[in-house]
Amino acid sequence: MGILDRLRSLGKPQTTEVKEKKVVLIGLDGTPYTLLKQFCADGTMPNLAKIVATSSLRQMDVSIPEVSSTSWTCFYTGMNPAQHGIFGFLDLQPNSYKIYFPNSKSVKAPALWDVLGNYGKRSIVINVPETYPAKPLNGALISGFVATDLKKATYPPELFPTLVELGYRLDPDAQKARESKDAFLADIYDVFEKRRKTILQLFDQEKWSLFIGTITETDRLHHFMWDALVDKNHPYHNGFLDFYRRVDGLIGEVYDRLDSNTTFMMCSDHGFTSIEQQVYLNFWLKDNGYLKFTSESPKSVEEMAPGTRAFAMDPTRIYINLKGKYPNGIVEPGAEYEKLRLEIADGLRAITYQGRPVIKKVFMKEDVFRGPLMEQAPDLIVLSNYGFDMKGSTNKQVLMDREIFTGMHTQDDAHFLINRKDINEKKPHICDIAPTIMKELGVAIPSDITGVALT
Amino acid sequence: MSQKGFTLWFTGLSGAGKTTLAHIVETEMRRHNLKVEILDGDVVRTNLSKGLGFSKEDRDTNIRRIGFVCHLLSRNGVAAISAAISPYREIRDEVRKMIGDFVEVYVHCPVEVCAKRDVKGLYAKAMSGEIPVFTGVSDPYEEPLNPEVIVDSSTETVEESAQKILKKLEELGYLPKTEEVYSEEEEEEVKRRLEELGYF
Repeated sequence: MGILDRLRSLGKPQTTEVKEKKVVLIGLDGTPYTLLKQFCADGTMPNLAKIVATSSLRQMDVSIPEVSSTSWTCFYTGMNPAQHGIFGFLDLQPNSYKIYFPNSKSVKAPALWDVLGNYGKRSIVINVPETYPAKPLNGALISGFVATDLKKATYPPELFPTLVELGYRLDPDAQKARESKDAFLADIYDVFEKRRKTILQLFDQEKWSLFIGTITETDRLHHFMWDALVDKNHPYHNGFLDFYRRVDGLIGEVYDRLDSNTTFMMCSDHGFTSIEQQVYLNFWLKDNGYLKFTSESPKSVEEMAPGTRAFAMDPTRIYINLKGKYPNGIVEPGAEYEKLRLEIADGLRAITYQGRPVIKKVFMKEDVFRGPLMEQAPDLIVLSNYGFDMKGSTNKQVLMDREIFTGMHTQDDAHFLINRKDINEKKPHICDIAPTIMKELGVAIPSDITGVALT
Repeated sequence: MSQKGFTLWFTGLSGAGKTTLAHIVETEMRRHNLKVEILDGDVVRTNLSKGLGFSKEDRDTNIRRIGFVCHLLSRNGVAAISAAISPYREIRDEVRKMIGDFVEVYVHCPVEVCAKRDVKGLYAKAMSGEIPVFTGVSDPYEEPLNPEVIVDSSTETVEESAQKILKKLEELGYLPKTEEVYSEEEEEEVKRRLEELGYF
């Protein structure tokens, strides 16, 4: 058969009308499971309480470090950091001590919406952290933290004028929290209101199989005003609750729009609790002779001096200054490396505050990461006890103190909700969400994914 | 990053997806505030090459003209994107030599798939004989031997193919690399915002 005959014999594909499955997910950055339970019980979030009655709301673990950049990347790839490559908000360039800020282009695993795009499914993704700059996808995406330029944060570019018209804002101005709590709250409300309008408009006007709308104002509120939640007599207690009433309003508005073919989900990227002390790992390393700086008050690990054996990067990542891996690396791989890791882990476990241990667990990299990017992973990673907020600051002259922040992240108290009663895991992990969405939408789950489908 | 001019040369059958990909790359370049110009085969034939037919000689002339304009744009710091079938290897290589900063993208797609798509209705006309000379049907298409990028629009999504091309442009230094996503000013802004939340 010649080419012309073959071309002529091409038939048209048969199509049958099937109502397509859809998934909607509302992300609440830093909203703990325990807080949602409390707000459902005390009437702060009546819409959510109604949904929870017919859903599974579960406490969820997230990867460590429990920061938004790492966690949300686990969320949208279903992979662990040694597969997707995002270990924190900052990282070092290969074979150097030069810092760079990982971004969407640093992510080495396909995003959930890339996988769905292969099946011709459209995704709308709003404000998920670590998606800046916005990369082409089948659908639309507005990047989340740390996006700086709305134009570069928007795909497709045709969406940009709509966002300008809606007054869309990428993030509240956290600087305001230091100036006035009233101004900060007003700013958070303003960003939320514009985000809410954008979410609902795109929800109604766009075609999609997957819709993700993420609220990050929750995290900002928690960092600076967690004390206002805990203390019922706090002047801003009601202001805090009122923000969650608004969030509940949005949840209701979205839920009311769903049809029976749409699965509704919610999740956070970590939980929150009160800070008792901030703990500075780099001070501890310096104080114990593992770390040397070239100046008294170094701005970052870029000012590390030769002779350093270990250093920390925000918030809980410890790196051994390994020979061959770093320009001034002095620790020999093998026995010396292993001995040093154990020594540091023992030392960290011994840190106490008022007689209580600060560190809950010190993990070796191989305990928590698995994948082709192990080389890039921190050699040790610390999980602190509630109340002790680990920081990577380099200029501190004390091991612990307090700053303006009143809330800190937790690793084991994020939340996951799905509007059905039966799910497989009692305590899901954030990596489980992407495969769960893939399964709901009937697409093949990549075999190397870390998470498991929950339904 | 100061812009380095170059030519991104798409080649492939009619309906393979050259124009679609060219526009995605154009968008990405503009988002990085880079100057870019597309020379689309179909558009060029209505102005720059108006009057030329589809004989081997006319097709060569058409490609040489596009190549010449790309050369002028490239040497003036513009990213010139050509999206024309450009079926003959020899002429493509001639243009490559003239320009130097040349990135060839072979948009592979089996002729059956292109014909099935038949977005412009040209394959139907070619098969009925209404168009006597048509690449892939009644005229040869010579695949590039060493293109910088090969994409396959019959097995990849448009976005996947676009990512491949953009990645290559990053590697070759025509687009800012991952570490250069943030300008210096933006980097200061990122630092400030991470600092405000206690991450830096």
